[in-house]
Amino acid sequence: MTYEPPVTDYDYIVENCTCAFCGCNCDDLDYLVKDNHVVAVRHACRLGASKIMEDMDQRLLVPMVRDENGELKEVDWDTALDKAAEYIANSIRPVFYGWSETSTECMKEGVALGEYIGAVLDNQATICHGPSLQAVQNAGYPIQTLGEVQNRADMIVYSGSNAMNSHPRHMARYAVFCRGYFRQRGRFDRTVVTMDPKFSDTAKCSDKWIGFEQNGDYGFYNAIRAVLRGKELYQDVISGIPKEDIYELAEEMKNAEFGVLFFGLGLTHTLSKQRNIDIAIKMVQDLNRYSKWGLTPMRGHFNVNGFNIFMAFECGFAFGVDYCRGYPRYMMGETNTIDLLVRKEPDCFMVIAADPGAHFPNGANQHLANIPVIQIDIHWGPSTELADVVLPGSFIGVECAGTSYRMDGVPIYMKKAIDKPETCRDDEWIVRELKERVMKLREEPNVAPKYVPNPNAL
Amino acid sequence: MHYANTYLEKPVVPDVKITGEGTTDVLKCMLNTGSDIYQGACKKRGSTLKEEYKNASGTCYMDPRDMAKLGVNNWDTVLVKTDFGEVVVNCAVSRDAPHEGTVFICKGPWANTIVSHDTYCCSDPTYKGIKCTVEKTDRKVLLMADLMRWVYKKYVDEEDDDVVENMESLGELPVYHGRKWEELIDHDL
Ligand code: SF4
Repeated sequence: MTYEPPVTDYDYIVENCTCAFCGCNCDDLDYLVKDNHVVAVRHACRLGASKIMEDMDQRLLVPMVRDENGELKEVDWDTALDKAAEYIANSIRPVFYGWSETSTECMKEGVALGEYIGAVLDNQATICHGPSLQAVQNAGYPIQTLGEVQNRADMIVYSGSNAMNSHPRHMARYAVFCRGYFRQRGRFDRTVVTMDPKFSDTAKCSDKWIGFEQNGDYGFYNAIRAVLRGKELYQDVISGIPKEDIYELAEEMKNAEFGVLFFGLGLTHTLSKQRNIDIAIKMVQDLNRYSKWGLTPMRGHFNVNGFNIFMAFECGFAFGVDYCRGYPRYMMGETNTIDLLVRKEPDCFMVIAADPGAHFPNGANQHLANIPVIQIDIHWGPSTELADVVLPGSFIGVECAGTSYRMDGVPIYMKKAIDKPETCRDDEWIVRELKERVMKLREEPNVAPKYVPNPNAL
Repeated sequence: MHYANTYLEKPVVPDVKITGEGTTDVLKCMLNTGSDIYQGACKKRGSTLKEEYKNASGTCYMDPRDMAKLGVNNWDTVLVKTDFGEVVVNCAVSRDAPHEGTVFICKGPWANTIVSHDTYCCSDPTYKGIKCTVEKTDRKVLLMADLMRWVYKKYVDEEDDDVVENMESLGELPVYHGRKWEELIDHDL
């Protein structure tokens, strides 16, 4: 890469902004603003900087509706909102998917609308850390905050996660290179282990790389658990790793003063899915017999955890919540977006601050080609190519303030730095407007029928 | 106005030259998908219609030994097929090599065409560890908008894959009501 001179031509600096990209929610960014546009960002990583200095060519600026030729046509806000409300009010099984890149305040309106109409509310966890959330229900959640990691941890394990590529400042700001109260020498006081079939960029800057074979994670964790419980391994090589190495690693993990396991999609996307996480959580529990260990899922979007925490607080379930019976219901593999789409159930799909066009498998997206799709987003993306109504939102953390939850569950208030484009609206406003319009079109809320006990059942 | 630059036409890959014709036409591999920093930066900036996203996301990262078997070089095109579909992507030497027998495609519309939607009742599709074949091809890699039109055909009447693939490109900028972005008189709308 070539050298670039620093940006000196700016009007003013907005300090201590929060990055709206990954689950690290770095809240120490400085935006350099000129003519109401962020021209440079200090302290952010490549990902954060590129998101904040967005691509204005593809910014959605006006509401749009598809005409009869299948072309998007610019319309005014009233027309677009009425059209979207009509689609929602006339649907039997609407799905509201997304929410991870918007504020918790907006989710509040979304839940009200979903409950009123009897929709399924789901977020990106369904395609990333859904199995982790399920495993947490199975096995527990030995979590710690990232501040504790920074100040105390002396052994960091990344499993199935390439932090250098997907959470670039995680190692620098919270886990590895940073100095902490009990870890004054930073990197030198910590041991870093990466477990990944690939020799990833994170593995390249770790002390140890455990390259178990593809889909070998379950066997490997079980082997460590067996060793931790004092058992002997009978096979010489387990999941591609020699048993001597497993003994050595288990010993090292036992002797850590404070260890943390960060796990990513490498575990949830392979064949054993939530069982991988089950076993990783149980391994952490076993390690706690000897030392202090915790774990944290490496959440991808800045507020994906927020939706899960918010929903669990509001209705008792973290994601994939189905209101169609008039009360919240959740069933893995049944009320989740991908399963619903593959079964071709939904008849209206609202995407808010998400991109199924870019992230859902073909088999699920095929159904989006048959049903009306409403998109609330800030950029023209793959989902716009499938959308029938497009409502331009605003950029949380840059153009609009809001609350988000970091990967370890710490809520962070993201402040506003610049004004949004005149023709855009806040996500919260859009969803509230939709809710009010839907309520006018469908006067009766979707409520459960009255419970009548069956006299014969007793 | 001087902006800090975050654009990068193509991801940086090891400069390995493959010589020779290759020994096989079809290579059997294991497919993994996921994100990398180039794909993430380009996607979240919003530059999804651009050539940059095509190169960042529609690229199959391979072990150089696998590339030698097929006789392909950096930025040649390959056809990747699985039980769930097929797609044409670029190929490039992986930064994480060696991983002979495994190929990596970043998540995005290209990878979606060929990954498994099976969730095994766990909500999460199987994005990793899918059996695939890789072969050399002359077909070109489609831009995002063209690819979405080719795969889902939501707004075209044509059913034939080959015809849709060779239709006029939708280009690298948004199309507003049949008018290209450049044709709009007032860009601020
Ligand atoms: S690590 Fe994540 S939150 Fe921090 S600056 Fe980078 S993208 Fe933003």
